[in-house]
Order: sequence, then structure tokens, then C-alpha cells
Amino acid sequence: MKLGKYWGYILLIIVVFAVPVVVRNDYYLHILVLCAINIMLTASLRSIATSGQISLGHAGFMCIGAYASAIMSMKFGVPVYASMLLGGVTALVVAAIISYPITRVKTVYFVMLTMFLGTVVTLVVTQWRSLTGGTTGIINIPPLGTISIFGLSIDFSSKMPNLYFAIILMLIILLFLYRIDRSYIGSTLQAISQDDTLVASIGINLVKYKIIMFCIGCFIAGLVGGFYAHYMSVIVPNSFSLFYSIYLLVYMIVGGTNRFAGAILGAFILTLVPEVSRVFLEYQPFIFVLVLYLVIFLLPGGLVSLPKYILSRIKK
Amino acid sequence: METISQAIVNGLMMGWIYVLVALGLTLVFSIMRIVQFAHGEVYMLGGYCTYFFSVIFGVNVYLALLLAALVMGLLGVILERFLFRRFRGQVEGSMVVAIGLILLLQTAASVGFGTQDRWVPPFIPGVLVVWGVRIPWERAINVIICITLVVILFLFIRGTKMGQSLVAVSQDVDAATLQGIDVNRVSMASMAIGCALAAVAGGLVGAVFMVQPVMGGYAMQEGIAVIILGGLGSIWGAVIGGLILGLIDGMVPLVASTTVASIIGFVLIIIILIIKPQGLMGQK
Repeated sequence: MKLGKYWGYILLIIVVFAVPVVVRNDYYLHILVLCAINIMLTASLRSIATSGQISLGHAGFMCIGAYASAIMSMKFGVPVYASMLLGGVTALVVAAIISYPITRVKTVYFVMLTMFLGTVVTLVVTQWRSLTGGTTGIINIPPLGTISIFGLSIDFSSKMPNLYFAIILMLIILLFLYRIDRSYIGSTLQAISQDDTLVASIGINLVKYKIIMFCIGCFIAGLVGGFYAHYMSVIVPNSFSLFYSIYLLVYMIVGGTNRFAGAILGAFILTLVPEVSRVFLEYQPFIFVLVLYLVIFLLPGGLVSLPKYILSRIKK
Repeated sequence: METISQAIVNGLMMGWIYVLVALGLTLVFSIMRIVQFAHGEVYMLGGYCTYFFSVIFGVNVYLALLLAALVMGLLGVILERFLFRRFRGQVEGSMVVAIGLILLLQTAASVGFGTQDRWVPPFIPGVLVVWGVRIPWERAINVIICITLVVILFLFIRGTKMGQSLVAVSQDVDAATLQGIDVNRVSMASMAIGCALAAVAGGLVGAVFMVQPVMGGYAMQEGIAVIILGGLGSIWGAVIGGLILGLIDGMVPLVASTTVASIIGFVLIIIILIIKPQGLMGQK
């Protein structure tokens, strides 16, 4: 593997790792953690979407993972790292069960179906008070367990170690998803989204691929949900509402669905916009909508197509 | 026995509101082929308009309802012309526009109107008691207005040229254009009618429950649920779907909670989407 051609990415990663050290303010660190979370969620959403399955229930799977991890670590004494993983697995199991009947559904109905799915998840969590604490949720969720390496003991009671964990998790997940995108599975999925009849006629079992991708994407959502639970230490059903799923979809679309980096860019920028424009207080959503509309009306390819757009304008 | 019949009647009364919201939504969905998530916000603004016209301007409450419908219809035309026209037929683009619209309208409402309780004044006070079932006149009038509007819509679609153009565009845009139908005008008409219907629903609900900036979200989900149950593009489907969901919402709380009622309703929709996505009376 020629490392030379990846110098740009390596530089970027170094910058990303340096940022938490430079940023001192706890509040900004928190925003960066949210960025990492949203990037992971949006990237996994985009991966599912490459096969034409647009999911409006992604926050629901995050909810499953969050509650599963919280309950397992608190009621059953499972160590936090394991419970986080198991949270992802729980989401995966639910996704696997539901994906068999739903992958056959056409795109526009799939969107609605996942929308109701996500809502049902939050409603069930609200209703099942004995297990989940209902609308008041679960509090005092233990943070990530202390790690000791090289004689150093890292405990996760402050923001910075959590941010580093989030960044590392994010990089691993992004690398994983990128490799899939580039692989045989990825190309098959893109072919499916373009012309699924043709793909089927070659003898490729498209349902299998759609299910695999859906399950992987939901597993990641569950995993991220687990991290979210232990990072925030408090979860309520409202944190995983339909609105969150909708926002993730918006991040994906505004970032640009055609390229892998689109999801990352969209999630990063649109998570920051509300925070940066917080000075406007209650008018802040207007700024967000402005950015949204500027991109959607002027840049049909999404934010990721901005360089191309600028270049084509310069050449004129 | 009395409580069951009361629950049935309550459910049916609520159901007609769902029908109204769903009708407006199905028009916009099937004709313009956009994902108009912000329909609930139009409903909300319709409620506020009715409130303002009747309380602040002291207009007769029925007139206020009519005015609200007209204002929202006009808003619908503006939205179509300047926001949605570009994204006709596009799922992703129209979704982003609609979401932006939700934020825009909801923020405008909470900033502009504040979060105090506001009620649309009652249309007719008093309660009618039939065979032991309490029917507030308010709700009865709601149902009558809803049914009237549904009938008017039905006649409009069946009997007028514009109505038939709406059907044509919902079936095949290109063929309709070849017939000389101006799709732009049809789109504006469908948005106008859809938003007007939503506004009336909002105004009617504002008399029973409050008018709040956040009232749109629930209405939107119920509207989509009704359309899926009944079938996209079908008036009868919207009626049947709305009444069924209304009944579920009315009767389930007798044995469980309203949350469970919503769960059952939505699970029903999920099953329908898997087995027969066209809904009970759908076309395609």
C-alpha cells in the first residue's frame, strides 16, 4: 500500500487528533462529540441508502442500542464496553428480523415504513415503563470503563477522553463503511439502486445484499446509541425522536449522497451550524434553514460537490 | 356499554379530523409527487389564523375558519410557486425543502405567537345527549363541516374540469400535459386546496384542543398513516382510513393507554405497507 498518495488523509487525521487538545472549552468538546456521533450515524444511513433504501427510522435503532446498553450495564452488571457492543447487536437483531419482510418494499413506502418503525420504537420505550423508565428515561448510566495502557490510567469522567474515544470509533467505522462501499458489495448495491431488475436478471440475490447493508447500518446506529447512553449518562425516548431521524436524512442529502465523503461533510457542518448560530437565540433555526435552502437550491449535488461547482464557475 | 359507545363516538369524531388532514395531504402527494412533510405546520397555522380572525379581529368563528382556509390556500400557492415547483417529483429534494419549511414555520409561530395557551372560541356551546352518549355540539359541528367538505371535494373532482385535471395529473403527468393540461396550474390548485383543508382541520381542532406551535407533528403522522391505510390518491380511502384510525385511537385507551393506541395504529400501518402498500382502496 503506497502511503504516499494518502498524505492528504493522514494530515487530516493528525489535525483531527490534535483538535481536542487545542480546544479547551468543555462545551466545544461536547459539540465535537456530537459531530462525531452524527457523522457515524449519517455515514451508516448513507450506506443503507446506497441500495435505494432510505431509512427514516435510524434514530429508532440508535434508541434500541442506547437503551439495551444502559439496561444491560445497569441491571445485569455487564461491563460497559461489552454492553455497548451488545447494544449494537440488539439493534442488529431487530434489524435482521424486520428486514426480511421490509426489503421487498418500494422506496417511497420504505421511507414511510421506517418512519413508523422508528416512532413505534420510541412509543414502546415510553410505554414499557418498568424496563425503560418511560418518558423520564434512565439516569446515572455509568460512563465508559477506565482503561489502563502504558501504565497510564484513562478514566472517562471528563469530556476529552470521551471525545478521543468517539473520534477513534468514528474513524474505525468510517474506514469499515468506506471499504464496503468500494468493495463488491458496494458496487452491487449501487447497481441495485440504479436498476434492480437488471441486477436480478444477472442472478444476483439482491434481497440478500439489501438485508446485509440494512443490518450493518442499523448495527452501527445501535453501537453509536450505546456510546451516546454512556456518554450522556441520561437517556429519554425524546432524544431519539422522528425529528432526529429526519435531521440525519437531511445531513445525508445536503452533504451529497453520491460520494462517501458527503455524509461526513453534511453531518459535520450541519451539526455545527446550530451551535455557531446560537447567538441568534430563538431565531437560530432560521439560519439553519437558510443554509439548508442555499445548498439544496444552488448545489443539487450536495455540499460535497462544492469544489466541482467552484471550479466550473472559475473556468467560465 | 355506555363507555364503549362513547368511545366509539369520540373516536369517529376524531377520525373525521384525520380524514380532513389526510385529504389535503393525499392531494399534494399524489398530484405533485412531493414529500410535503410540512403539511402539519400548515394545519397549525390554520389553527392560529382561525384564532386570530375570531379572537383578535372579533369575526364570527365560521367566517374566521373560511378566512383561515383562504389565507392558507394562498400560502399554499406561494409555497408551490417558489419552493416546491423545482422539486416536483423528487423525493429527496422535496423532503429537504419540507423539513426546512417545518423548522421555518414552527419557529416563526413560536417566536411570533408565543407559547401561551390559545383556544379558538367554541362554535356552539352545549352538549347533545343521545342514548346516553354525550356529544358536545362542538364536535358534532366539526363532523358536519368535515363531511360537507369531503362531499364538496368529491363533487369538485368528479364534476369540474379542474377536478378532472387533478386526477389526470395524478395518474400520468406526461399524458396530462399532452392533453393540454397546464400542470403548473394544477399543482398550484392542489396545494391551495390541500392547505385550505389542513387549515380548516387546524381551526376545528383548535376549538377542542389548544392551538400550539407544535401541534403539527402529530397531525402529520396521522395524516400519512391514514393515507397509507386508505391508499394514496383515494378519497374514499382517506375517509375509511381516517375513521378506522380514529376508532382505534378512541377505543384502545379504554383498555390501555393512548400510547398503546398509537402503537397499534402504527404497527397496523407497518403491516399494511408490507402486505398491501397500496392501502385498502389504492390504485397502484
